[in-house]
Amino acid sequence: MANLRGHVTGYAFILPWLVALALFIGYPFIAGFYFSFCDFPPLKSPAFIGLDNYAELAHDAKFHRSLGVTLVYAAVAIPLGVVLAITLAMFLNARIRGQSFYRVIFYIPHLVPTVVVAILWLWIFNPEFGLLNIVLAGLMNAADRWTHLFFGLGAETPGEAWLRPEALALLAAPMLAAVTIWPLVPAVLKRRPALKRFLAAVAVVALVLGAVALLNAALHGLMPVDIKTLHSPGWLADGNPLPSAIPFAPSWALWALIVMSMWGVGQMAVIYLAKLQDVPVELYEASDIDGANWLQKTWQITVPMISPVILFNVVMSIIGTFQVFAEPYIMTGGGPEDKTRFVAMFVYDQAFQYQRVGYASAVAWVLFLMIVALTILAFRISQKRVYYAGR
Amino acid sequence: MRGVHVGLAVLILAVISIAWFEPRPALEDFDPVRHAAFKDTWNKRVHLAYWEKWGSFEADACQKMVDSFNESQDEIFVHYLRTSQVDRKAMLAAIGRDPPDVVGLWSNNVVPFAEGGALMPLDGLMKQSGLTRDFYIENYLKLGEFEGKVWCLPTAVASLALYYNKEHFRAKAPQLRAAGLDPDRAPQTIEELDRYADVLNEFGPDGSPRVMGFLPTEPGWFNHIWGYHFGGKLIDPQTGKITTDEPANVRAYTWVKRYAETYGREKLLRFKSGFGTFDSPYNAFIEGKVSMEVQGVWFSMFIRRHRPQMEFGVEPFPCAEGVPGPRSEMEMDVMGIPRHCKHPKESWKFVCWVQKEGLGILSRLQGKNIALRNPPPWFHQGHPNLELAVFEKLALSPESYIFPNSLVGQEYRDEINRAFEHIWNWPVEQERKAELEGLSGAERKAKIDALCQEEVRRTLAEVRQETQRQLDAKIERRRLQKASAD
Repeated sequence: MANLRGHVTGYAFILPWLVALALFIGYPFIAGFYFSFCDFPPLKSPAFIGLDNYAELAHDAKFHRSLGVTLVYAAVAIPLGVVLAITLAMFLNARIRGQSFYRVIFYIPHLVPTVVVAILWLWIFNPEFGLLNIVLAGLMNAADRWTHLFFGLGAETPGEAWLRPEALALLAAPMLAAVTIWPLVPAVLKRRPALKRFLAAVAVVALVLGAVALLNAALHGLMPVDIKTLHSPGWLADGNPLPSAIPFAPSWALWALIVMSMWGVGQMAVIYLAKLQDVPVELYEASDIDGANWLQKTWQITVPMISPVILFNVVMSIIGTFQVFAEPYIMTGGGPEDKTRFVAMFVYDQAFQYQRVGYASAVAWVLFLMIVALTILAFRISQKRVYYAGR
Repeated sequence: MRGVHVGLAVLILAVISIAWFEPRPALEDFDPVRHAAFKDTWNKRVHLAYWEKWGSFEADACQKMVDSFNESQDEIFVHYLRTSQVDRKAMLAAIGRDPPDVVGLWSNNVVPFAEGGALMPLDGLMKQSGLTRDFYIENYLKLGEFEGKVWCLPTAVASLALYYNKEHFRAKAPQLRAAGLDPDRAPQTIEELDRYADVLNEFGPDGSPRVMGFLPTEPGWFNHIWGYHFGGKLIDPQTGKITTDEPANVRAYTWVKRYAETYGREKLLRFKSGFGTFDSPYNAFIEGKVSMEVQGVWFSMFIRRHRPQMEFGVEPFPCAEGVPGPRSEMEMDVMGIPRHCKHPKESWKFVCWVQKEGLGILSRLQGKNIALRNPPPWFHQGHPNLELAVFEKLALSPESYIFPNSLVGQEYRDEINRAFEHIWNWPVEQERKAELEGLSGAERKAKIDALCQEEVRRTLAEVRQETQRQLDAKIERRRLQKASAD
């Protein structure tokens, strides 16, 4: 009897949750499956129509566009988010002064409500007055001027020779100077170690500047239209792909949403950080003794040790991608040309704009199956790569 | 442990009681000072919820109309609830079987609401109350109809016209005259509009626009109207078939595309991103960034609100040469009675009063024309919209048109908007690079025009096929629904 009372009491405690689960998740889940086989204007009774809704999906260009947008977004935003979050977590894991402060700073954006973030980014992406374009235009113009010293930029001055003759002089002079003084260098460096650090810094800066010039010149040659646009992109209003030569590349508008999605990367980084702190220090000490460098330690120790968390974040991101709604709804309304109409928006439009609950349910179920399939795929791919420390 | 059970049971009971015993609206819950005049009759009246759109002075006008009704009798009290996205919220409320008593919608909501069974038909009630068809301007009444029945009646109506900045015309008078154009009047044809626009344009040293004579993307709300001004239509009235890619429409959207190509798609995009919001002094037309713009009857009031001294004129939006005019799209805000509302009889009393008495108050205070064939005698006296005559003329013009009431009207509008964006943004020089290689000057321009026309035709054909497919599917579904109901 006492046992029964204990059971009853236990169930009474979880009853509100059970009722809510059954009412608000269980019932819609099952009802949605039935409705997906029905023609169901929301104010009338559902009429069974078999597989018609699913057959229509195969021919619906708008659905295909939405699915394409979502998959492209997933293919770009998920890997980018993972790489960025891990990098950030590794920085935040460094033992530096003010470590906690930085951790808080990078986590704070995640606490801002979605609508606020969307409106904030609307201004950041404004082509005329937006912060991003002002900074971008400054950077691009500086890079152009610098590159122009060495190369004729094809997009602006068509027909000009690629490598300017003056560039040879510009490059040759410092190199000649370096070669001339090279015999003296070891002796001087031995006497003045600080100079060694200074020269190393100069070399790094020179390398970066050289890389900027080379990369900028190459991009001007390879994708002149895109680079021209990059000086002041239309972002949310531009539906053309970037890079323009690749047909399924994300549109400028979708890139804007991808860039914006990195805003919340701090939350993912905190999860990585927790796992990073869990990596046994002995492993790094052993690898130090073996003479492993930073890259080897990262690839052979850090990544395998945090791989379960990477898998978790990837799976959550896949699910999250199929639920992207508020940002495009507020910022673009799905435009331009449906280039940011994610499937979640498509489902909403079908149900509440066009009053086709049956069709919307069919789409939702297809999405559910796709999420399940992609999650299984993620688990399968990761089976041999995720390390659970023997568990 | 017994206490826990009792506590849970009390909690559940409390939730149910709160939901069940919904209190009557008390005067103190609203605005006691404002409603002081109704104190004596407050508890005797039937209280109606009227969900309606509007903001700023237009909302004040609606409130005045509702106040007049509340003062005119002592049986009903209408609560005007300003509701954003009223159509979506009303639909959700209808689905939840808890709709408002009266709802204000847009005319493009009539078909989905009526077809979905969210509204009550009004024909019988109109007959009883003596509201006949000839009470209204025919086209406006048609906007509230579906399958031969009236589902919604007018509130605010509108037609569209060309607003032009007289200050810009005067400043460029010598140049306009030199181009053979009269600076003291608005363009009469589309071809003339292009020539006026060309003279009125101003560019910065880098070719970026400072002022545009005309921009088909501003304000960007009427992407579906251009075909009509070239003699086209969107649905064949005889067959009911979708006709998006008929030659006149192709010509119209090629004309739109020409603006993007002539002045630079990217430059215009940046230029447009600097425009302020509609109801602000930074509105592109009010600020003087665009010299001519297609806008509705409401716009005069907004201009005077933000720049009272601005000199502007209003004329019917021109048609292409040879296309009869004047013509304008006729638009309408409507009111209807949701099915399953709590007080249908009282709701009709309010709707009927609005039609007979309230429309004059609302339209006058909002600065709009009226849906009635014979407005009340006081309607025109001191009407705040000085350009009203143009819109009234357009409303009565036999050439004016309405967006067809179709089963897929909303889907069709969305498809047209998408097509418009695609046509405007399509980078011809990038997409058809090979065909333009080696061409220059007039030859290149002609080739670009031909390629754009080809893309316009393809895009509009795509819209026709997609919308027709949806329409056919919907007709078939309705046929099956009716068959199973029979």
